[in-house]
Amino acid sequence: MTREDIFAQLTEIFQDVFDDDEIVLTDDTTADDIEDWDSLEQINLLVAIEKQFKIKFQLADVSNLENVGAMVDLVEKLVG
Amino acid sequence: MSVYLITGATSDVGFELIKTVAKDGDKFLLQGYSDSGKLKVFCAENNIDYRYFDVDLTDNAATDKFMAQLKDCETPTHFVHLPALRVVNTKFKNFDEERFLLDVNVQIMSAVKICKYILPKMAKAKFGRVLFMATSYVLANPPKNTAAYIMTKNAVVGLVKSLAADYAANGITVNSVSPSMIETKFLAETSHLIVEAAANEHPMKRNAQVNDVVPAMAFLLSEEARFITGVNLPITGGSVIE
Repeated sequence: MTREDIFAQLTEIFQDVFDDDEIVLTDDTTADDIEDWDSLEQINLLVAIEKQFKIKFQLADVSNLENVGAMVDLVEKLVG
Repeated sequence: MSVYLITGATSDVGFELIKTVAKDGDKFLLQGYSDSGKLKVFCAENNIDYRYFDVDLTDNAATDKFMAQLKDCETPTHFVHLPALRVVNTKFKNFDEERFLLDVNVQIMSAVKICKYILPKMAKAKFGRVLFMATSYVLANPPKNTAAYIMTKNAVVGLVKSLAADYAANGITVNSVSPSMIETKFLAETSHLIVEAAANEHPMKRNAQVNDVVPAMAFLLSEEARFITGVNLPITGGSVIE
């Protein structure tokens, strides 16, 4: 799976979780850029990502993700 | 001698409660659905005098049949209502009305039917203990995406208060407990990330275990709790302080 594929699928997940079809993700997107992105929605996002990519995150690995780019890197690593 | 009616008895909380409250001579009327194997072994090993009812409480007709069976049993002195459909985290735009109504059947309608039958009998006997399972989510800001669960649990608390008011004069206490997240098989459909995050955010850095919760339940069912009614007891380890 390419990094672009992951981006495309993550974008759909973000749009669904935040109920906003206009969300466009970049490597540098952070919680500051999306109004409703708080710690609870972060968990909901991660749960949706686990389900979509059939992967399992460790809480320690996801608690300090800096931005969407880091999230994509982690997904890429776990998808293998 | 006490007669305990426990619905949702095949849950982890149900097992621990039976183990905690059972005394020689007590009888147990136990409801579960499709997972009675372990319970039957447990009751046999612990010499529990029980009758098991396999009832799908989402189905009103099955509940009515269960009620007819209960009428052939000794009147319960204690009623504990534990069942709930598992929590599904869903955005409100995807709210599943059909599943919500099934959960209302399980948590509310079955309890209403049972209470309509047993509370007048308890009132005649001038003794009764009724206890419901609520959740700490009704005590403070609920988590997002759990509207169905929050609504049914708030209805449970409303039922507790109403019944407590109606039957306080009759020696019957009606209470509920509101634990924070308990690590049991009830969480089977909850992401491990949600469970771990809850533990991480808890002041004690852990979630509740069954044996953190059941002793308080046993107390509310005891003779000594005769002056406590209409209470929704938080069992949160400090994660919610009212």
